[in-house]
Amino acid sequence: MSHPDESPLLLVGWDFRQTPVELRERLAFTPERIEEAIQRLRQEGLLAEGVIVSTCNRTEVYGLRGTAEVEGDPLLVLSRFVADFHGVPPQEVQTAGFHHSGADAVRHLFRVASGLESLALGEHQILGQVREAFRFASNAGLTRAVLNRLFQKALEAGKRVRNETGLNSRPISIPGVAIELAQKIYEDLAPRRFLILGAGETSSIFYDLLVARGAKHIEVVNRTFEKAEALCKRGGQAYPWGELAARIPKADVVVSATSATEPVITREDVRKAVSQRRGQPLFFLDLGIPRNVDPQVADLDNAFLYAVDDLQEIAERNRQERQREVVPAMAILEEELEDFLAWFGSLAVVPTIAALRRKFESIREAEFDRSLEKLNHLSPADREKIRLMAQSMVRSLLRRPTEALKEEKDPARRLERAEAAQVLFDLDLEAKG
Amino acid sequence: MATTFLLSGLALLLYLGAEAFSIAHLRKEKAAFGLIAKILLSLGFLVHFGALEIGGRITHTVPYRDWSASMSLFAWMVAGSYGILRLRHRESSTGPFLIPVAILFLAVSLPAHPLPPDPRLTGSEFAFHVTLAILGYAAFTLAFVLAQLYLIQIHQIHKRKLGLLFSRMPALDVLSRMHHTSIGIGVVSITVATTLGFIRADTNWATIWDPKVAITLLLIAVYVFCLLAGRLLNWSGKRIAWLSIGGYFLLLFSYTIVNLFITQEHVFR
Repeated sequence: MSHPDESPLLLVGWDFRQTPVELRERLAFTPERIEEAIQRLRQEGLLAEGVIVSTCNRTEVYGLRGTAEVEGDPLLVLSRFVADFHGVPPQEVQTAGFHHSGADAVRHLFRVASGLESLALGEHQILGQVREAFRFASNAGLTRAVLNRLFQKALEAGKRVRNETGLNSRPISIPGVAIELAQKIYEDLAPRRFLILGAGETSSIFYDLLVARGAKHIEVVNRTFEKAEALCKRGGQAYPWGELAARIPKADVVVSATSATEPVITREDVRKAVSQRRGQPLFFLDLGIPRNVDPQVADLDNAFLYAVDDLQEIAERNRQERQREVVPAMAILEEELEDFLAWFGSLAVVPTIAALRRKFESIREAEFDRSLEKLNHLSPADREKIRLMAQSMVRSLLRRPTEALKEEKDPARRLERAEAAQVLFDLDLEAKG
Repeated sequence: MATTFLLSGLALLLYLGAEAFSIAHLRKEKAAFGLIAKILLSLGFLVHFGALEIGGRITHTVPYRDWSASMSLFAWMVAGSYGILRLRHRESSTGPFLIPVAILFLAVSLPAHPLPPDPRLTGSEFAFHVTLAILGYAAFTLAFVLAQLYLIQIHQIHKRKLGLLFSRMPALDVLSRMHHTSIGIGVVSITVATTLGFIRADTNWATIWDPKVAITLLLIAVYVFCLLAGRLLNWSGKRIAWLSIGGYFLLLFSYTIVNLFITQEHVFR
């Protein structure tokens, strides 16, 4: 943690690692509530700008400190605000969450956007969720220069990690692995015929996954026909159990997840089915425990069989591969972090005022020297008077801009003014005075 | 001839560049690498055509008179056939395996030893006969590589070797379709080439029969069988791939042993 009282960048959050799901549910924000919360934080002067990232695994409030003089740690004040806002006891909220400020808050956001803080390491949906949270806050006028820049950088960092590392290259969930395998046999799954055996929870998960992938031909066979029909209510065709042998040759991919204690698909069933398929391969995903498909099916030409153990093993291998990509991903994030902090540091008022003075002084000196070359007849005393007059003019000119930069209480506006001054006067903050 | 050599060398460099970026694209999956590979391959194909065209102007015929010229034409046909496959199937991950075929044959063609023009081997009919035959060989060569990729992918799926190569290589059905397209191009080209050859032989030779003709007809039969075996005889992709590989060895036999030692009419001299 950096020193919370020193940095205007604040973060309080609750995620799956330390916050139980019941509490996360209570702390979740709908879009309307996000706008309401940030508006209130701004009205109370706690934040000058803010973004809330709220997903099923996390609720995180990012903000730039406002003008209010708060007693104690501003992070705790912010955390208490969230507790009050949701009507949850503050003590419960504070002990179950985390808070960062400054560079740590920035680094955390970059890690979140890259999937390094996700339950499934490297998953990329979070990048879309961060983008959506930022877009919402930006459209609602809840962000200004600093958080705009921060979130744009976070999205850039997330994209770089996705493109430049293998963090998200291979699936790590059983359904993800199963779909990847199926796509290595049939590239486009949408027009393929799927046969699902069983109508329990696993079958239902696969049914949803296939529908989401655009599968148009799904058949479900189950011992209890009504359950198969219920599963097919969003499309597809249910068949009674007796139709199983007749449906196998018609399918391209068979997903089996029944609770049968013995294989329900035999080698002979598959041999017959394959012989009717005009050379088209047949892919079996056996998710049943014990196995639903005779393991000897794997020996048949043009039949491919993967059981749940195989899928788990692949998922674990992919997980280890992703773990190895964390180090290169972190290197990218540190680069982006440094870039952001350099920009953020450049917005500080003191270096801006110093640069402004240097700029004006250098102009004064150059103009003074040029003018004196044409005024050779002046005595040294007169020259000194002119020099003092020029110095006085510069001081007078700088007085108001300096005051405007120093006096502004709102940190966001102060940083915006500093940035405007840097652009208007083409200031070089690096130069030595 | 120096210009032809220089352009062929430049084409070779462009193909090598295309290969390097194809490999980078396969490894990193960056769209920019794939695009650069496509541009380099297209440029290589055009420059290579320039080399063949200039060579053809000098000899007043399609460059097939000598072995090195025919190898260069073969390499150009391979690059072209791969371009067709890539466009047709929108698939670029096979590039690293198919572009080397063009590179290899263009490289061996570079130390050219041109033979003087043979007045007997002229005319558009003869030019089409040889050009189409070489196109057919090029397409069968790509089918040979694709059949191996298909078998490798099947092996990886069966043996659960699901590494980088598995994840980057196309799906079995895509490989199968590309293989099918290559064989289709090859069969049509060789069949038309053989028909033109028959017409020419009928007017120029004492008999149209030659060992090369017999083996070519057998080759066509094997590849036609590859095209139909899945639908008609329920053959698996794996068996068809093995048959295609066998067919290619027959082609090599035809192109080497038959050309060098058996036939009297299909020979470079």
